[in-house]
Amino acid sequence: MDKRRKKFFYALIYAGAALLLALCLTLCATATYTQPEQSTTFVLNAGSESQALPVGDLVLPSAMTWYVYGLVCAFVGGWQAARLLQRNGWALLAVSALAGIAGGVWAATGALYAAVLLMGGEVWAGAALLTGLAGLVFLAGLAGLVCARRRISLSIALTAIAILAVFAFLIWAARDRSTNLTGLLSSALLRSVPIALAALSGVLCERCAVINIAIEGMMLTSAFFAALFGSVAANIWHWPSWAAFICGLFGALLAGALLGLLLAVLAVHFKVDQIIAGTAINILAVGLTSFLSSRILSEFQNLNNPGILNRVSIPLLSRIPVIGPIFFEQNVLVYMLFAVMAITHIMLFYTRWGLRTRAVGEHPRAADTLGIDVFKNRYVNVTLGGMVAGLGGAFLILGSVGRFDEMMTAGKGFIGLAAMIFGKWMPFGAFGAALIFGFADALQTRLAILQVAIPSQFLLMAPYLVTMIALAGVIGEAIPPAADGQPYEKQ
Amino acid sequence: MRKSLIAMASLMVMTAILTACGGGGGAGFRAGMVTDVGGIDDKSFNATSWDGLEMAREELGIEVAYLESQQQTDYAANISQFVDQDYDMIVTVGFLLGDDTQTFAQQNPDIDFAIVDYSYEPTIENVLGLVFATDEAAFLAGYLAAGMTQTGKVGTFGGIEIPPVTIFMVGFQSGVEYYNQQHDTDVEVLGMDLFVGNFESTDDGRRAAEDLIAEGADIIMPVAGPVGLGTAAAVQENPGTMLIGVDTDWCVSAAEYCNVTLTSVLKNMDVAVLEAVRLSYEGTFEGGVYVGTLENDGVGIAPFHEFEDDVSAELAAELEQIKADIIAGTIDTGW
Repeated sequence: MDKRRKKFFYALIYAGAALLLALCLTLCATATYTQPEQSTTFVLNAGSESQALPVGDLVLPSAMTWYVYGLVCAFVGGWQAARLLQRNGWALLAVSALAGIAGGVWAATGALYAAVLLMGGEVWAGAALLTGLAGLVFLAGLAGLVCARRRISLSIALTAIAILAVFAFLIWAARDRSTNLTGLLSSALLRSVPIALAALSGVLCERCAVINIAIEGMMLTSAFFAALFGSVAANIWHWPSWAAFICGLFGALLAGALLGLLLAVLAVHFKVDQIIAGTAINILAVGLTSFLSSRILSEFQNLNNPGILNRVSIPLLSRIPVIGPIFFEQNVLVYMLFAVMAITHIMLFYTRWGLRTRAVGEHPRAADTLGIDVFKNRYVNVTLGGMVAGLGGAFLILGSVGRFDEMMTAGKGFIGLAAMIFGKWMPFGAFGAALIFGFADALQTRLAILQVAIPSQFLLMAPYLVTMIALAGVIGEAIPPAADGQPYEKQ
Repeated sequence: MRKSLIAMASLMVMTAILTACGGGGGAGFRAGMVTDVGGIDDKSFNATSWDGLEMAREELGIEVAYLESQQQTDYAANISQFVDQDYDMIVTVGFLLGDDTQTFAQQNPDIDFAIVDYSYEPTIENVLGLVFATDEAAFLAGYLAAGMTQTGKVGTFGGIEIPPVTIFMVGFQSGVEYYNQQHDTDVEVLGMDLFVGNFESTDDGRRAAEDLIAEGADIIMPVAGPVGLGTAAAVQENPGTMLIGVDTDWCVSAAEYCNVTLTSVLKNMDVAVLEAVRLSYEGTFEGGVYVGTLENDGVGIAPFHEFEDDVSAELAAELEQIKADIIAGTIDTGW
């Protein structure tokens, strides 16, 4: 690590620590204002029809849960801070001294607070707030002392904290009310499906060093052809619905493959700047689908009605409460996402083709010297990437809404690109990142339904805020394939 | 390098040709429409406004054309295309086109403008704002929904938090509250703060509906243009849930979802647009504001179609009475 990068890295840790400490302060402060007897109910049965065994509701005392989560956040915040302090012995000493004093104050005020609570009087907010503050500082110091000598995987701990903090927030938002937890998680998964497919498409292309920002356009175009092909099969040829689905899927994959091929021709053969080529394809996709849609789909309504896939329950597994409705009662395209993800991972890291692809992405000249056909590899990968994006378009139509509307992808392809970077160009990482985006989106919907007093515009920012926090605190550096975006010229 | 330039150029030209549809030439009275994003076939405000222009073409024998906005930066470009081609009248569709319409109207005092969902204060001489008291119609829909719900919860959500959207939601909520008052019930409205953030992503509409259904809502009114069609797909898959359409009668415009459409909150933009064009055609056009209300049939609720038998005669009669009361001004719709 050079000096500047190191400095930046430490700044990130500082920011992460400050963020977590601030978070736990807010958590505890707000918990103080939550009435002690308030509780939050999480419904665990799926909102729609489901085969899962019914289970009881999860009832949590709101304020208590908040305190616990706040303290956990403080612990990790202290941990983060300690990573910096271990470099400076005197600072560590000062912090522990401070922590000792704060611990005393904490104990005193804590007792006071408990007394007030027990007497059944009004919560004395000032004392309680002080309790929270002092306790946090104490714990932070303690955590610092303990962890400064140990290196435990920070990102795992931070991820756990982020999840806990989010649920703490949900508990506060739903205090004295109930919300459907299974519905929330299921919604998160479904919202992440198109994003994950877009991200996987990006992984396939960028692993061989072709930047694909045309994913949005590929998804939009394939969505159109999924609707058109599916409708023709279902409403004109009167095929059974499964056959019509396959026909629609074929249309989507074909459109995706053709646009992928177009990108490959521009980027590999003509060596066009890949960003510009991708942008051009995006604009082409918008124009093409809008034109065809207004000329074909709005004239002949039955060409825009391919039907929607039924959900398929996997025997036994779908009976598991909570997990069943989320993972095992979805439509075929969701299962296909899981399959594509696993296959991509295995192909990239455990096969000859994968090794070659990664070589082409890191150092095409070396790969070429060793006899790998760089051009062919890129053509194949980008076309495959286009087909995966096409699967995303097919999901939007056949797996979700059952009709094409102009601009219906609404930026999901671009968010997929962000998920790819967030996931460090790894298939499972990209899916994980997509899940986080999907969850943030589902969560903001839930918070809006619970009428949290936050303006809708801010709630809609949630997914992007999550990205920034995660990038600052968890991910650290994301390094793309070395040759990413550079056209290869044979000597 | 030259090869790459040629390839790019040909791609760009192809794109430009495909993106620009509509347009036209010739003499006579010409009226152009600039849509909001969401497309001409959004089964919603773009489509209804365009219907108005097509009606004008048939009735008045004028020439009409439209330009679709793919993004918000297209508004000004599209309006200026019609201005450059010397159109006699330009209809812009949507609240979000308010600023651009004002700019062009002031620069071109000899062209008549009409804008759907926007009115200016003070009024501009050559712009007629077509606004609708949809709260009145949504009030009726809310009352009906409260009377029909089995779970005691009804839901709504919007596209973007702008007045032409929230007016539906507020009216709907007031209608539910009025029902609660009259019948001593406790029907809840979910999603008053819920906005998906766009008017295009039908997938978001489906997810929002699923979330509302998971929280117990069984009647949903999506106020988000085509995004609502995604909601319709979710409603159709969940037995026992119903949909309230907006802008047009969804039993007609989205017939595949008629079996789940309880009613629709009508916003008769086609009639308003036709009237505006007629005034301009006849030379009696004046800037100002047209307000569509229950009284002048500018807004209303659609027939119950397949739910005709499920809506009790009492409820139907109450709705008639409330409509009369709103027109008389004795009921406050909350907007």
